[in-house]
Amino acid sequence: MKDPAVASSADEGPVAPATNRMVITILSLVGFFVASYLWAHNLGLTGPIVCGVGDCSTVQSSEYAMVGPVPVSAIGVLGYLALIVLSFLGLQPRHRQSRLIGGLMLAGSAVGVAFSAYLTYLEAAVIEAWCQYCVVSAILMTLVFLACLPEAGRLKAPNL
Amino acid sequence: MKKFYLLFGAVAAIGIGVVGYNVGSGVLGSAVSEPIELDIADDAELVELAQGVTKGDPDAPVTIVEFGDYQCPGCGSFALSVKPQIDGTFVESGQASFVFYDFPLISIHNNAFLAARAARCAGDQDMFWEYHETLFRNQARWSTATSPAGGFEDYAGELGMDEGEFGSCLNSDKYADVVTANLELGERMGVTGTPTLMVNANNQTRRVNAYDYQSLATAIELVMSEGPGAN
Repeated sequence: MKDPAVASSADEGPVAPATNRMVITILSLVGFFVASYLWAHNLGLTGPIVCGVGDCSTVQSSEYAMVGPVPVSAIGVLGYLALIVLSFLGLQPRHRQSRLIGGLMLAGSAVGVAFSAYLTYLEAAVIEAWCQYCVVSAILMTLVFLACLPEAGRLKAPNL
Repeated sequence: MKKFYLLFGAVAAIGIGVVGYNVGSGVLGSAVSEPIELDIADDAELVELAQGVTKGDPDAPVTIVEFGDYQCPGCGSFALSVKPQIDGTFVESGQASFVFYDFPLISIHNNAFLAARAARCAGDQDMFWEYHETLFRNQARWSTATSPAGGFEDYAGELGMDEGEFGSCLNSDKYADVVTANLELGERMGVTGTPTLMVNANNQTRRVNAYDYQSLATAIELVMSEGPGAN
């Protein structure tokens, strides 16, 4: 039978898991569900969009809700999923010091925050309507990006 | 890490629950999206139930009739390109009225019946024709949706309609009988495809075998030039 103390020690690994990666995983998971709800709505799988604040209908039926044939919400789902997978992997003992994972998360979240800023600009200046889910997603992506900033320090640190 | 996994599990469970509930209620919504059984005794009763939607002066000397399907690309092309010209030339001048009858080809167009009901629901708020055009403009978007009701409600909101009232109408069986009756009326009149256009005047009906502006304008001028009882 496995000694619980040994098992726990092996699970934790020699280097403590980075708190910022835990934060990224949880924030990205919330973002994933927000984007999933919008994508399900775009696919016609939900009833009317529940929009307490703002005018989700106008935003979701605008031409900017699609990038070519792909709904913006689907891009969000894939982006958040990639961040969940990367940050989750980055929490595992053998990848806790991985610069590749850190670099990918930092680059991915930077692209995400830039795309979110563009979408927020469209809502404010072009569509002139707000979708609360898009705003929540933009805030989440900004927080994810901020949580990714410590990865820049890891990229600069010497190899251990 | 244990606390992290617990938090991760809790957030995942809540997320799956919320999204799953919304998807479930959308897919299993109560909106009637196919023809229903009609309890109609005779043709007169069918004609009475199968009301078309009229644009223009109902007493105009000429009536242009369309049997259309919101998922049919030809109907979209007619509604967005030809009908505005017909409206400008004949309907707005009072020479003709335009009557639209639903003819959803449900065997090939899954969402056409619900779209027809949606347009009728828009009619409750005097927005039938605006909604009619919106459906055709967005045809490519909702045609392939598994359940387009949510999108239809979005269009209602976009047009400034009362979404609650529209949603209540759509998520019910309202107008299912009228649209079914439209379909049966069309079948009894020999309609087999869409758009089918007819021009009525002087108790004469002339079917138009094309849906371009010139063919329709020629047919209108012909029936107008024919006296009562001619042909």
